[in-house]
Amino acid sequence: MALPSLVFSVVEAITQGVTAHYPMTGCFRAIISTCFLVLFFAKAAGQPAALTFERDIRPILKEFCFDCHGAQKELKGGLDLRLRRLIAKGGEHGAALVPGKPEESLLLTQLREGDMPPEGKKVPEEKVEVIARWIVGGAPTMRDEPESLAAGEVFMTEEERAYWAFLPIVKPAIPEVDAPRVRTPIDALITAAGGEGFSFAPDADAYTLLRRVALGLTGLPPLEDELELAKQDLSGPGFDQVLDRFLSSPHYGERWARHWLDVAGYADSEGANNADTERAWAWKYRDYVIRAFNDDKPFDRFILEQLAGDELVPQPHKNLNPEQIELLAATGFLRMAADPTGTGGGNTVQTRNQTIADTLQIVSSAFLGLSLHCARCHDHRYDPIPQRDYYQLRAIFEPAFNPAAWKAPSSRAISLYTDDDHKRAAEIEAEAKVILDEKNKRQAALIQEAITAELKKCPEDQQEILRQALNTPGDKRDADQKKLLASYPNLNITGGNLYQYNNKGAEEVKSYDKKASDVRAKKPPHSYVRALTEAPGVQVSTKLYHQGDANQPTGDPLVPAPLTIAASPAERPAFAENDPKRETTGRRTAYAQWITNGRHPLVARVLVNRIWMHHFGEGLVPTPGEFGILGARPIHPELLDYLAHEFMTNGWSVKHLHRLIMRSTVYRQSSVASPSTAERKFAKWPLHRLDAETLRDRTLVASGVLTRTQFGEPVPVKANDAGQFRIDSNRRSIYAQVRRSKPITFLQSFDAPDMKTNCNRRPTSNAATQALVVMNGDFHQAQAKNMAERVRNSGDVHAQIKQAFARAYGRPPSENEMQRSQSFLETEGVTLELFCHALLSSNEFLYVD
Amino acid sequence: MAVATLLQREGLLAAPQKPIFDERFSLEPKVPAFVPKARAMISLFMHGGPSHMDLTDPKPELTRLHGTEYGENVHFSFINRASKKLLGSPWKFQKHGQCGTEISELLPGLASIVDDITLVRSMHTGANGHEVSIRYWHGGIPGVTGRPTMGSWISYALGSAVDNLPAYLVLTDPGGHPVDGVSNWSNGWLPALYQGTVVRAKEPRIFNLHPPAGLRGKPQEHYLRFLNELNQDHLRRHPGEHDLEARIAGYELAAQMQTAAADALDISGESEATKKLYGIDHKETKEYGTRCLIARRLVERGVRFVQLFLNGQPWDNHTNISSALPAVCRRTDIPSAALVKDLNQRGLLDSTIVHWGGEIGRLPVTENNGQPDNFGRDHNGQGFSAWFAGGGFKAGITYGETDEVGHRAVVNKVTPNHIQATILKLFGVDYSKLHYRDNGQERSLTDGRECRVIDEILA
Repeated sequence: MALPSLVFSVVEAITQGVTAHYPMTGCFRAIISTCFLVLFFAKAAGQPAALTFERDIRPILKEFCFDCHGAQKELKGGLDLRLRRLIAKGGEHGAALVPGKPEESLLLTQLREGDMPPEGKKVPEEKVEVIARWIVGGAPTMRDEPESLAAGEVFMTEEERAYWAFLPIVKPAIPEVDAPRVRTPIDALITAAGGEGFSFAPDADAYTLLRRVALGLTGLPPLEDELELAKQDLSGPGFDQVLDRFLSSPHYGERWARHWLDVAGYADSEGANNADTERAWAWKYRDYVIRAFNDDKPFDRFILEQLAGDELVPQPHKNLNPEQIELLAATGFLRMAADPTGTGGGNTVQTRNQTIADTLQIVSSAFLGLSLHCARCHDHRYDPIPQRDYYQLRAIFEPAFNPAAWKAPSSRAISLYTDDDHKRAAEIEAEAKVILDEKNKRQAALIQEAITAELKKCPEDQQEILRQALNTPGDKRDADQKKLLASYPNLNITGGNLYQYNNKGAEEVKSYDKKASDVRAKKPPHSYVRALTEAPGVQVSTKLYHQGDANQPTGDPLVPAPLTIAASPAERPAFAENDPKRETTGRRTAYAQWITNGRHPLVARVLVNRIWMHHFGEGLVPTPGEFGILGARPIHPELLDYLAHEFMTNGWSVKHLHRLIMRSTVYRQSSVASPSTAERKFAKWPLHRLDAETLRDRTLVASGVLTRTQFGEPVPVKANDAGQFRIDSNRRSIYAQVRRSKPITFLQSFDAPDMKTNCNRRPTSNAATQALVVMNGDFHQAQAKNMAERVRNSGDVHAQIKQAFARAYGRPPSENEMQRSQSFLETEGVTLELFCHALLSSNEFLYVD
Repeated sequence: MAVATLLQREGLLAAPQKPIFDERFSLEPKVPAFVPKARAMISLFMHGGPSHMDLTDPKPELTRLHGTEYGENVHFSFINRASKKLLGSPWKFQKHGQCGTEISELLPGLASIVDDITLVRSMHTGANGHEVSIRYWHGGIPGVTGRPTMGSWISYALGSAVDNLPAYLVLTDPGGHPVDGVSNWSNGWLPALYQGTVVRAKEPRIFNLHPPAGLRGKPQEHYLRFLNELNQDHLRRHPGEHDLEARIAGYELAAQMQTAAADALDISGESEATKKLYGIDHKETKEYGTRCLIARRLVERGVRFVQLFLNGQPWDNHTNISSALPAVCRRTDIPSAALVKDLNQRGLLDSTIVHWGGEIGRLPVTENNGQPDNFGRDHNGQGFSAWFAGGGFKAGITYGETDEVGHRAVVNKVTPNHIQATILKLFGVDYSKLHYRDNGQERSLTDGRECRVIDEILA
């Protein structure tokens, strides 16, 4: 789709999303009502289906009108639009609906004349016309309407509950497909759905496959001995060895942590205002995530630790062992939102609540694939998420954030000093004190010595009274003594100016300081972990905020509970407000355990979709952070459910899921399809550009300078004299400081996110500025030079070309390429550096195929 | 399950759902929804809050009440220095042009172009803080950072009319970045290619634009030729991959950009008369005049959106207004007017919007306790002025009024959202239909805020 139509057709896309596509995808899942089927086939046969209130009209009214006419206890003009019969009954101005008579239906005339809604977005014309057609058609409903509705209650319709993402995950039957290329159930599902004539592309060649696996799993290209793997037969079990090798690489966790850090909104600074204060110790969360992926920590456990790690560590949080430190570091996830509350004037009721709201948004997009923030101020206009649900979800997190006793960012770090550390430090301090006492003694003696010498230089008749004045303590001296001393400034000798009288003595005094600081250096170092911890016994209540305003809590306190839509009505739990077995409320633990109980419709789908997306460049649901009605529909729903089911029934193991996906033909096929199937989905490996970090890291490997040191404090971002942000380090990009106000220019130009809240999906842009960065930028200049230095030593020109191709592309050159490269290198003015620069700039280097 | 499979075959895979958005963003020119009047815009952003009562909005009543206590409520930013003594303008106003618009003696340049501009005297942001209002002007919502600026939206909506220059350029001050730094030209959550490209006041003027010494000339030609061979070969092995083709084109464009941008930034070929018009022959106006002239050269070549910034906020005259305000006027007034005149004489003004204004204005009361030697004025987002020329704006009119002392906009109040909607319309874009989907959310420049196009100021 070309961009112009994109720009001006979004409204149209939404309309389709809400109306036309809604029933089709709704009926697609296993639960199908007869009328849906009839509808589908009627549509398929080209007959327009009759418009009905529940399916076609209510979503429009919910989006534009319910705020005043149904979702609040008070009804504007007495008009309630939640049910067809209530519309017909009307309000103060009489009936709002006269079936069959659009001109007499106030509902329609008010919309047509633009009188309603009185402010904010107007109802688009095409939606108004849908309402008109519905009225003309007799304004039918699909079924009998509820007999009663509580005031302000926006009930969930069957249609909303039947939306694909809210239906239970069902393991699909794997079709028996008789096709030679079908290796795994994934292949069978895709082949069966692909229809007549579908076929996969041939398997990719070994070098390509190796590159794909290495870059996909570790974010680094295969090099040297790893390239030898391409000489094996990778069509059979040899491929499993390749997978094992890269899955067990310590760099695997760095690559997959980076994906998760996008979702978590990881940053090393607070953001949200110009100060953008540095966020010390945030990196411990980053390291925790890397280790979690490397260890293949079961994802249900990973979720539990991030949401409630502090509740798994006994109070008080002191004398922590390494495992407990990890559990606290995990809660860094809930401290990732931008947070201005640590800067002057930034700590207000609004900013605290905004920080909590952003955190909820991160939690919900990460695990539920839903954007909840709409429901902060009013019922979600599209998805069945009442405002009340939002605050019940908030109640799960309320005791930990506790805005009334808000912890400013600087007080969130928990010291890792143990009692033993304190004891040891005190002993060392005592040792240092002995040295310093000696120093003071020695210094006093030297000062006295110097004063005595200076006194001798004073007029003899003054020496005695000066001596007396000097021997009188400063605060006891009388006015005459003070005046007298002031006229002899040379007698005012202190530790600070002793060197002017006795340089050697002063140096000697200094040597004690050195000794003392050497001793002090032996103290156990201070280290901290930045966490979200709930205070034991905290008392909080959560109320619904009228229009999202924290100054307007309304109604009764709400009990903590998950979203209504995420469970069947019988299964929705209300979590205990206080778990009697715990020191803290236990709400977050209960929630984390509930969403990973294997029956949640969203969590596993959302997670497997992300993993699929990171392999193939596009998710099975193309909007990974939005599974709601505004999001895209799954390209292959059964495959999504198959993966989700496999994931949950295999210990939530991400590495298991990788193997499942990567062993399949759909993963192993070439990026070039046979011409007959070129346009078919899944009929080839989708070639796509490397993400920003992988591009930088791959370049550093090719140039031979990558520093593989793992973990620890981030490499600080610096501005060069031209004002571009960069790091002076060849470490992997994940270790670069993420300063929200100082995005690293190179990474940003290749679509690394500016971390505002979080990033569910990176766009892929193609701009001339990217070409300029690669052609003329410092980074590529430097790496071309480094690469040339390493290539130069590999032998004659043929060996050099081979070496350069291996480094850049992870494959040997073809004969043609060898000749062409040689002739290029023989051109006057062409250097090896220029040759390497061209390879590093080329599409083959920028894309994974 | 059989039914599901059937549906899947028939309904989904065979005819996959139209993607909600396309991933490949580019600066290809796009056709707007309706016929545009404006093709380009130059915004002269005046950080700090120019004092409208002393510049563009004469207030005889304020002069009459000078020194008396102001009875209305005033929101002060600096309460420790606050005063409620009214401060009449120490500068004289006079009628100018055929339209007879009154302009202060501090702005002789503006006085000479009043017949070409729409002067809005009823701007209103409702907030006195700098950042709050700056973000309102650029991103559409007061105080909110991380949103795409209007320049980003225009680049996104219309692409670039020229393929060897960026669509959206920002000319920064040699003294450094303005308040709020790079947020002033942020792409927010739009893809990074819609970000403003900074043209710096000193070399390198555009990052990475020029090849380093070792690569300049022949070597780069060799490099590009060989790179193209590699890429063409790769494309042959991956037929039909449009993304690869686009990237190959990107290198060609980048190479052209090197010469095109250098040419656009080089004013040595301009006539002496032109340079004089912009005040380039004059020490005080040389720097700003040069940037105004470059701005003209950029839009002349098809650049969509150019914005000039000053460093810090020179219009923020809390103290010493009697010397600081004339100084910043002397620096910017003649060049700003020259830009309008020059565009006009070249026939470019009809299709180029010129905007002049700050994020807020100033209060009618004195600051610094009214100390006579160093008085100034505090912030005022309730009422202030901005002017627009060309690109479909009416010429020789004033619009809107502040109250009798210049404190609040009272007649035809105009907000930055109104201006944004109006400017988008001149570009042929309906502000209510220009959307981008960010994680499933439909976002726009004015994001559903109360908004309208001010047709009254359009020609």
